[in-house]
Amino acid sequence: MSVKIEVIEGGIPHQKIMIAGLVSTLVCLYLTYLNVLTNTQMFSFFGGLAVVTALIWGSHTIKVLCSYGIGTGVPSAGMIAFGSGVIAMLLATKFGAAAPIAALVIAAIIGFILGYISNNILNMKIPAMVQALTEMAVVGALTLMGFAALITGGFTFATLTTGTVSLFGMSVSSSQISFIGGGLIAVAFLLGAIAIQHPFNATLGPGWKQDRMLMLTAECGFLSMIVAAIMSFALINMGAALLSLIVGIIGWAYTYNQYICLSKRDAAAWLDAKMIPDVEGH
Amino acid sequence: MSAVAAKPQAGGAMNPTAMGVGVVMLLIILALCWYVSPGIGLMALIGIIIGGVLIGFGTHFVPVGGAPAAMGQAPGIATGVAMLAAGAGLAGLFGGAWAAEQGLVVATITGGVGGGLMMAITCMMVNFVYVFGMGIPAASGKVLNDPITGDSQKEFKSQGTEGHGLPFVSFVGGVIGGFLAGAGGTIIYLQLLTLYEATLPVVMRLPATQVLPIAVAMAGMFAVGLFLVNAVLTAYNITGTIEGPHDPKFKRWPRAIVASAVASALCGFVAILIVAI
Amino acid sequence: MEQIVFGIGITALTGALATIAGSAEDTESNIGSQGDPNSQVQLAPQMGFVHRIFNKAVAGEPPAYGLWCALGAGLAWAFMAMQINAVLAIVLGCVLAVFVQGVYATTSYLGRTASLAKFGQPVYVDILKSMTSVTMAHAFIAIFCVVTLCHLINSALGHPFPLPLLGLIWGIALGAAGSATGNPYYGKERQYQNQKFGAGVPISASGNIVRYAEAGERNSLDNGFFTHKIGGSASGVCFGLIVFLEIWRTVLFEQVSAGWGAIVVGILMILIFTVADRYIEVWARKNYGPYTEVKVES
Repeated sequence: MSVKIEVIEGGIPHQKIMIAGLVSTLVCLYLTYLNVLTNTQMFSFFGGLAVVTALIWGSHTIKVLCSYGIGTGVPSAGMIAFGSGVIAMLLATKFGAAAPIAALVIAAIIGFILGYISNNILNMKIPAMVQALTEMAVVGALTLMGFAALITGGFTFATLTTGTVSLFGMSVSSSQISFIGGGLIAVAFLLGAIAIQHPFNATLGPGWKQDRMLMLTAECGFLSMIVAAIMSFALINMGAALLSLIVGIIGWAYTYNQYICLSKRDAAAWLDAKMIPDVEGH
Repeated sequence: MSAVAAKPQAGGAMNPTAMGVGVVMLLIILALCWYVSPGIGLMALIGIIIGGVLIGFGTHFVPVGGAPAAMGQAPGIATGVAMLAAGAGLAGLFGGAWAAEQGLVVATITGGVGGGLMMAITCMMVNFVYVFGMGIPAASGKVLNDPITGDSQKEFKSQGTEGHGLPFVSFVGGVIGGFLAGAGGTIIYLQLLTLYEATLPVVMRLPATQVLPIAVAMAGMFAVGLFLVNAVLTAYNITGTIEGPHDPKFKRWPRAIVASAVASALCGFVAILIVAI
Repeated sequence: MEQIVFGIGITALTGALATIAGSAEDTESNIGSQGDPNSQVQLAPQMGFVHRIFNKAVAGEPPAYGLWCALGAGLAWAFMAMQINAVLAIVLGCVLAVFVQGVYATTSYLGRTASLAKFGQPVYVDILKSMTSVTMAHAFIAIFCVVTLCHLINSALGHPFPLPLLGLIWGIALGAAGSATGNPYYGKERQYQNQKFGAGVPISASGNIVRYAEAGERNSLDNGFFTHKIGGSASGVCFGLIVFLEIWRTVLFEQVSAGWGAIVVGILMILIFTVADRYIEVWARKNYGPYTEVKVES
């Protein structure tokens, strides 16, 4: 006897969320490219917004997939999304300004083949599997690219592998203080992998409501943006990092507050230090 | 981590056409790699495929009971299969990466031993807690006699449960699984490391010492990513729980070999393309 | 020789840190009720058993701890790259990681409980307030120990991986070891304390967790002190042994016959643990004896 997931339909259809998420993520990623055009780093915070929009899309995909009962659990879906996404994202960074589009295409191919493998070779035969895994790989790649843009100011391979370190007061170029060389990509990987599956995992149950789940996704996205912005202090200039941090904190505070209000709306009762109520004589 | 099927599973049937398509895809990817980067690239890809298959196959040995195991209702370890295999394999990868400069064979076996050691300690402590902490002996629910020791299982299974703890065959399975997963992950890491150390200085126009942190971090990150992809595919194959090599679900392993091979080939090819284009 | 002595000293320190981390991790996940036993906390209201237990559904322990430790390590790495002192950097990094962990814990409790509204399970705000700080405190101990041991492995023992990647690896390993060892103890012994000792929980009793106990209505803090004694200590010993033996055999023996020394020692250790496990299994069969089929177990 274990937990039953009951699917409650309703809310905005998945297709709309997918298109909205994809478009806004790509727009936000390209807005960070303004950094290159204007030779500053002030637009890095758009990377964080790209993360939030991609996660909103991705968490809804996980809801669609896991509602069929894949038998293993929700966190595995997040892991495979980001496992395939990180590989696609690293190749896509080689394509310069076309990196987000490249990430979309490469991740879609990888996700499609993984979906085919799961559905046909592993015989899972779930109708939404192929599309869901394709979408999740794309979400994984774009989220990681968003983190990279937030922390380093750009999404090309050169930006992600170079950094500077001060040696005796002089700035020396070092690959060890960089997004990839310093291992920050591992942190972004797990931040995204947990954030993408947490909203559905934490709100599943008979009383699942779409707006509450999506608000939680936004909250997870902004929370990840806060810590990523703190990590970016080491790699981009203080003003830009501070801007990302402030945007993240404001976004997080708002969405967290909204989430608590929505939970209050949906809960059976909101008690403070009260006894267990009597429910049918148990 | 215990969401359960709302619909019946598709079962353990093989799908020969899909397996055939999988093998064809594998050959196509190998051919593409040979075209793009014969020599060092192709060697790396073959190593990655072998590593991925080892991870996928090894994860079948690891005894995982899921949510019922946490209540003493099913044998196995009470954690998710993908993450338990990843934990053991990553501990092995840690050891293997440390021994990287001692050559491929030594480093791979060191990685395997690291993974196997972690599983051995974990499985022993699981039985320790069951026996001395909860007073419950180990019993399997899927076989009447333990295949290795011959102990009878039925009368040691408490009523109303499917078994509990880790019978000896599950312990051995866990150690073998940890060994294979650790070895597989280390092979992937080493192949990518050698490839990147050789090609990144040219691609990035930097001296070799500067390139080393990037090569290590990228190879490590790819190894982690491939680990998780292969482990999750195996979790899909066994639909979440398995008692060990004696479990009837173990017979599904051919599907997983093909699936892991294709997935690892694809991801490995993408990893190689980073330095080949 | 001096190098090896230094290495052994660091190894002993990492072993001690790992033991503390393992124990704190398991206690934290029992106070928050995370991982596989949490499925019972989720199931209980659906079977009519409303409770006051914290429902912390943040993935399983391995990925969750992978995140907290990688995050703590990543933040510490960033602070160290800004030339902040290593100890302060690690402490600050872990504090921020624990903040993230606390937020995830609260959102999961609110989310899961609000989705169980149909069964009359209320959201207890006092549970939220009291449990969150305790679980964050235990998590801080675990994360701090793991990030410190990763820093020691990276800087003092010279492992090639960067600090965040080491944090990811050891975080996932910590979660796997702690959850494997501690979950059955929490799930069977404490959640189902009203079932007979010495047998698994029968499937018919699913969902009927203990809700009224020693000090009135049970909450997760009561679970913490109970499971810490045996489950927490076992998890600590498990993870401590894993880290210590893995590093010990490498530091001492990796130069012996070009690496084969460490491999042989590792295989010997596996054999020793196999023998120990077999001994435990046989001891149980001999001293506990079989369950009889006829008697009704409950």
